[in-house]
Parts: sequence; structure tokens; C-alpha cells
Amino acid sequence: MGAGLDLFAAASAEGAWTVGEVTRRARAVLEAGLPPLWVRGEVSGFKRWQSGHWYFALRDRAAQLRCVMFARDNRRLPGAPADGTQVFVFGRPTVWEEKGELRLTVLELLSTEAGGLWQLAFEKAKAALAKDGLLDAARKRRLPAYAQRIAVITSPDAAALKDIVAVVERRWPLAELVVIPARVQGEGAVAEICAAFAALGRIPALDVAIVGRGGGSKEDLWTFNSERVARAVAAAPVPVISAVGHETDVTLCDLVADFRAPTPSAAAAAATPDRAEVLEHLAHMGARLARALATRVELAGERGDRSLDRLVGAMTLRLERQRHRLAALGGRLDALSPLKILERGYAVARDADGHVLKRTTQFPPGLPFRLRLSDGEVAARVAGS
Amino acid sequence: MTPSPPPPPAPSFGEQLERLEEIVRRLESQELDLDESLKLFEEGIERLRVVRERLAAAEAKVKQILGRDVDS
Repeated sequence: MGAGLDLFAAASAEGAWTVGEVTRRARAVLEAGLPPLWVRGEVSGFKRWQSGHWYFALRDRAAQLRCVMFARDNRRLPGAPADGTQVFVFGRPTVWEEKGELRLTVLELLSTEAGGLWQLAFEKAKAALAKDGLLDAARKRRLPAYAQRIAVITSPDAAALKDIVAVVERRWPLAELVVIPARVQGEGAVAEICAAFAALGRIPALDVAIVGRGGGSKEDLWTFNSERVARAVAAAPVPVISAVGHETDVTLCDLVADFRAPTPSAAAAAATPDRAEVLEHLAHMGARLARALATRVELAGERGDRSLDRLVGAMTLRLERQRHRLAALGGRLDALSPLKILERGYAVARDADGHVLKRTTQFPPGLPFRLRLSDGEVAARVAGS
Repeated sequence: MTPSPPPPPAPSFGEQLERLEEIVRRLESQELDLDESLKLFEEGIERLRVVRERLAAAEAKVKQILGRDVDS
């Protein structure tokens, strides 16, 4: 008699095992024998369920292993791995009792391809934006020269906001900052930033918007690589200045924005003119104004207008004397006003149509005309008839 | 409290400066008669005064609004 297989030795006390007993036992044995581990393989049959959970298989040439990655774990990832992607996963082997299947509950997933999942998700979103023309240079709007109302979308308690406020206060205190607080990282950040952009359209007389945050890790900055955020930036009703992280991290938000600044402070500077420069410009304008009038008066003099000679002489002299001071003191210009000249006893004669009468031949006897004096006008008539 | 900021006073700083620049250009073109030149000069001085005063008096204002404030 050979030692035959004892077909009944493995039966439970009651006889055959139930299916549930086997799967439960298998699960206990597997979980005790195989601790959480890293597995390398190729993603296959990827499916994202309504619940947000990911289902896929990991394969190599000889075998495959079914995997699930729950929404709470895959949420941290920038995007789903495409079929065929080589990945490392960290997971807990188990038995899915309902299906009697060996399964890996994946907790972490890393792509082994260049740049990994982050890069893949970035390139995919970038391609979608480019396809819609949102990265075209021709789309970029010019920033306002003298912004009066500036919206700032950022975290309300971060250094970025303090930097922006300080720069605007120093450079262009004419501006009003309208801060729209939004979380800039972590869960809910994308939705909050998109909501903030949607709110821009309801701020009256808005000139420009700044969106940004200080530097951070790749994961921290990832909100600004969201395709949704990029599309919200593109749809903004006013030009957008993007200042995310540091110079080396270019985000999709930066690419879509009308202007990219390396830091929040630089964004504030781009949004505003410098008060000192504007004052200098004003002084220059004042000087040009005075010079232009002086030239005009000289021109009248060169035309041989006797009746204006003395007025011209006085004004020119006076303008000359003041010209160098004007460059520094644009606001003192009213001292040069022709009205001041009139105060000294000169008058300008004009006919009924308001034309300046410059020659004696323009005064036939009996002609009514008006004389402009320093404090008003009087009606007059040339003597004789 | 305030759902949205009130509109800023018109005209804007930029508009005033633009007008000032236009005045200077027209005056420099020397195409106007003396009387028109005087009038433009007066207007130029007045605008210069206004924008300088605005710059001198300005103090940056910061308002914080929530998305839902704007929504309402």
C-alpha cells in the first residue's frame, strides 16, 4: 500500500472548509508572512473609479499583481500613471476575500521614468494648455502703467503678502490693494485659488492681479501646476502677474500669466510705477510745458508783432530765469502763468471771434474788441468812426 | 461689511497724466495761436498741480475680502 494522499486530513472538524474560512485564513497567513514592501513593475489596466480609488495591475514578464490605491493615498500624487509606466510601489499584500484574489494595497507610488509622475502630469497639462493657445505670447496683456486697484490672491498670513504690501506702500501709495485670501498649498488650495480668480470679475475698476506664494517644496508648489489654476489665470478679466516660488521653479501658472515675477516683491514692483520716477517725469513735463510756451511767445515776437513785443520780452525773460528751477520743481509753474504777466499791467486784445489782435491794421476805427486783463475782460471799441 | 470697494474717483491718475502729456505735445507742436497756447498752458499747470497733490497725499490702502463677500 503506498502512502496515499490523505484527502480528509485537512478538513475542519465539521468536514470541508467554507470558502470564507479559506480566504480569511489565507489573508491572515499572507499578511503575517509578507510585510509591507516595495514592488517594481509596469502599470497595466489602470482604472480610476468614481470613488477616486485607483485600480490597476503591476506586471512583469512572468506575472501580474492586482493593486488598489485608495483616494486618500493617491490624492497626494500629481496625476495617474499611464498604462505601461514603470513604477515602484510601496504596499501591503493582502487577500481580497470577496474575490479570492491576491491584492496589493498601494500606499505610495513613484514613477521610475524621467522626472517621474510629476513631470508627466506637468507635461500633459502643459500640452493641453498649449493646444488651446493659452501659452501663446500674443495672448499676454500689457500691465497697467499706473495701477490704482490691485488684487492679491495669496495666503493671508504668509510672508508673500507682507512683502507685496511693503513694496506697494513704498513705490506707489496711490494704489489700493484688495487681498483675496486663498490657501496656496495642500488640499482645497486649487479650488480656493480658482474661486478667488472667479471673484476678480466682481471687483470694480480693477487694474491688475497678483497671484503668488513664497518658495516651497515641489509638492508645496504643485497647486500652481494644476491645469485648473492655469485656466483660471488665463480667464482672468485683468492682466495677471504670477510669482510662485523661486526663479528656478517655473509653474504652469507662471507660463499662462501675463507676466512672471521671480518673487512676490518683484510682482508688486511690476504692478506699480515708482513714485520718485513719476515725480521726476512730472517735473520734466512741467519744464517742457514752460519751454513750449516760451518758444510760442518768442515765435510771436519774431513775426514782428509790435503790440506784443514787450509782453513777449517780459515773459521770455521770466521763463528763462525759471527754467532751470522747473526741472526740480514742477509744481511751481503757475508762477510763470501769463496771467501773472497781465497782473503787471499788460493786456491781450481779441476780436469778437476770440482771435488775438496783434497789428495796428487789425484795429479799424469803430471796431469792437475785448481786452483781457489779469482779473477779467472788458469790452472796448477803437476810437473814431 | 462692505461687499465690494467703491469705484475710485474718476479720472484715473493715468488718464490725467495722459492728458498732461497730450497738452505738452500740442503746445510743443507750435501749431496753436497764442491764446489757445495760453489756455492749454493754464490747463497743463492745473493738471500738474492735481497729480502732484494726489501723489503727495497718497497712502496705500489694504483691504481684505473673502471670495464669498464678493459673491454676495
